[in-house]
Formats: sequence, structure tokens, C-alpha cells
Amino acid sequence: MNLDFSQIIPYIPFMLEGIWATLKFVFFAIILGAILGTLLALFKIGSIKPLRWFAGAYTSIFRGTPLILQLMIIYYSTPQLTGYDISAFLSAILAFGLNSSAYISEIIRAGIQAVDKGQMEAAQALGVPYRSMMKDIILPQALKNILPALMNEFITLTKESAIVSTIGYLDLMRRAQVVGSDLFRNFEPLLFVGLIYWCMVMGLTMIGRVFERRLKQSD
Amino acid sequence: MIDVKNLYKKFGTNEVLSDISTAVTKGEVVSIIGPSGSGKSTFLRCLNLLETPTSGTIEINGKSLTASKNNIHKIRQQIGMVFQHFHLFPHLTVLENLTYAPMKAKGVKKAVAETKARILLERVGLSEKEEAYPNSLSGGQKQRVAIARALAMEPELMLFDEPTSALDPEMVKEVLDVMKDLAKSGMTMVVVTHEMGFAREVADRVLFLDHGVLVEEGQPAEFFSNPKTERAKDFLDKVL
Repeated sequence: MNLDFSQIIPYIPFMLEGIWATLKFVFFAIILGAILGTLLALFKIGSIKPLRWFAGAYTSIFRGTPLILQLMIIYYSTPQLTGYDISAFLSAILAFGLNSSAYISEIIRAGIQAVDKGQMEAAQALGVPYRSMMKDIILPQALKNILPALMNEFITLTKESAIVSTIGYLDLMRRAQVVGSDLFRNFEPLLFVGLIYWCMVMGLTMIGRVFERRLKQSD
Repeated sequence: MIDVKNLYKKFGTNEVLSDISTAVTKGEVVSIIGPSGSGKSTFLRCLNLLETPTSGTIEINGKSLTASKNNIHKIRQQIGMVFQHFHLFPHLTVLENLTYAPMKAKGVKKAVAETKARILLERVGLSEKEEAYPNSLSGGQKQRVAIARALAMEPELMLFDEPTSALDPEMVKEVLDVMKDLAKSGMTMVVVTHEMGFAREVADRVLFLDHGVLVEEGQPAEFFSNPKTERAKDFLDKVL
């Protein structure tokens, strides 16, 4: 066994900065994914045909092609097509947010459809407008049912974020590779960031549990 | 108050309601009875457009329900509905269940809505439950909250869709008592029910539906003691 963790000590601050780099774009990607996913889900259950068709096609494309391909297309073809020199950071937010919204929309759609149909009828019978009904009555109940699935999606997104290392964004993963090639030792830095990824996912899991508990208040 | 003319409802090729015409005047309590699958609930649900009629017209206070120019939300606000399975909002407290629709749909101020809600909860005998969540209530309590929730919108008309069918027998009375009280106060009510006692005692008029056809209607005393049609006679023999 040739293991020597002391060698990565000087690189630890450099790698720890990767936490912030990763969290920064994952955070925005989750927000983008959640907002877009909710909208797409509402399109899917709505009665407007073109929107339904759009949401279906969107999901089909973003679920049907590899995430790394979407990331590369956004990063490399945006300058080619528009002349705008898109940053790796923005590409990452877009690719992960757009991709995640396809999955999230399916989760939310299923969640909405699992809410007792009587809830919608009761709100309609009271003359509550569609928007308020969705926002105050249906979505909160759907959210409670889908929270585990949603947390799962966020966890996946956090881990898969490592893919941005392929476009040169200095996230955790990329930093481990940089340190690895500097030292000619890969195992230690990889193990180190692996531990960090695990801690981040544990953190997310814990946040999810807190939310779940709060939503269970009415049971 | 309600004017129904030549109402038809089809689900696919299945005709659930066939040429129903009737009228309900203000303050009248009408019971709709009939065997399962006779279209009673569908008829009731047409009255606030939870089901869209295939053809025919429904007017509430002279306003057509089916004409698209009329705002269906506004009309529904005048029609309270009580469901067999309550459909209380489980993530809101009892008080919030009562105040939500007045605040969201009619723009009533929170304090005003809460005062009104407390009066209604007292009326249905559930004052001490205002902070409870629906899941902690018994069936009879849930249904009383549901009635209060509908009343919080100050409707001119109340529709009841088998309000006691999902209740344990010992809870039926508490709900019926609230409904009787409501009838006495002059509320216009249309009640789909299997409670023949209620229909006989409280209703001003009984409609008997079978296979989507309005077979017979009349005063309860007359209808129950001396039904005119063979089918109504048959039905009453079985249930009484």
C-alpha cells in the first residue's frame, strides 16, 4: 500500500474552495430546475394543447439525451452560434437546470395527479380561482407526497455536478484532478473530495428530513 | 332560483341523465332519491358545473351556468357544496378551512373572515376544534366543518351530495341535525340522500330518479305514502 495523505495537505484549501464552486452552481441549477419543472408540470396537466405538447417534447429531449452532451452543446455551441462567449459557470447552471427541470416536472406531475380529485372539486365548488387553488391547495399537498422523490433528484444533481469538470469548470471534482496530476497521486485527492461530496449529500438529506417533518404537521 | 331545462348528460355513449327539467324556488328544500347509478349525484354536480351537461340549460338566479360569458367562479361562490367524502383541506386547520375561500375568492379581510368562521363553528358545535387539523376529527365532525366551510361563502343555495353516506351510523344524526337547522333558517337546499327519514321530514319536495330519468316528483307525504309510479313503489318497498 502506497498511501500518503500528508502530501495533499498543502492542497486542502484549494480543494475546499471547490465546495463553494460546486454549491454555487448547484444552488442556481436547483432553483432553475424547480421553477421550470413546476411550470412544465402545470403545462402537462393543463388543458392548453400546445403547452402540453411543448412540455412533453421538452421532457422527451432532455431525458432522452445524455447530460454531458447537453452540457457540451451549451458550452461549445453557444459561442459558435451566437458569438456570445458563455462562461462555464453559466453553461453549468443552464445544462443542469434545464435537464433537472425535465425530471422535476415528471415528479411534480405525478404528485399533483396523486392528490385526491375531491380537493380540486372542493376548491372549484367554493369558487376559488384556478391559480390560487393550485398554489394553496393542490401544490402543497403534492409537495408533501413528492418530497422524497424531489430530494432524490436534488441529491442526484449535486453528485452529477461533477460532470462540469469536463468543461474545465473548477469544481470539486476538477480540483481533485488538478491536485492529482500535480502530485502524480490520484487516490488521496479523489478520496478527499469523495468524502466532501458525501458530506454535502448528507447535509441535503438532513434538510429534506426537516422539511418532511414540518409538512407532516397536519397528520 | 334554479331552473333546469331538458338536461342531458352523456359519458361517452352512456346516457346518465335524460331530459331532466325541474325548478327549485327560493327557500325550498328538495331531496333527490333513487337507486345507485340513477344519476342523482351527476345531476347535483351539474348544478355547479362540476360536470358539464351534454345539452340543456341550467339557470341559477336567472344566470345561465353554461353560457361561457358568465364567470363560473362568481356563480359557484353563491352555491355551497357538501361532498360525501368531505374533501376538507387536510393541510389547513379547521379555521383556515373556513376562512380560505372567503379570503381568496371574495377578498374578505382575515379578521372579518375569522369572526364569521367562529360564529359558524359555534353554529355547528365545533368551536373548540378551530385549531385542529381535519385528520384528527371524526367523520361527523368533518362533515359539520365541511358544511360550515360552504356556509362561510354565504351562499344562497346549498347542494349536498350524500352527506351522510360515508359516516358511521351514530354520527349521521349530528350532521342531519345541522342540516335541519339550516333548512329551518330558510336556506335553499338540494340534497341527494339515502336518508328517507330526512327526505320525509325536512324536504318540501322529493325527486325520484331512475336510470337518469326523473320518474316522479312530489310532496314527501304524498310520495312516500302513495307513490304514483311502479318504479318508485318498487324502490320504496326495498328501502323502507
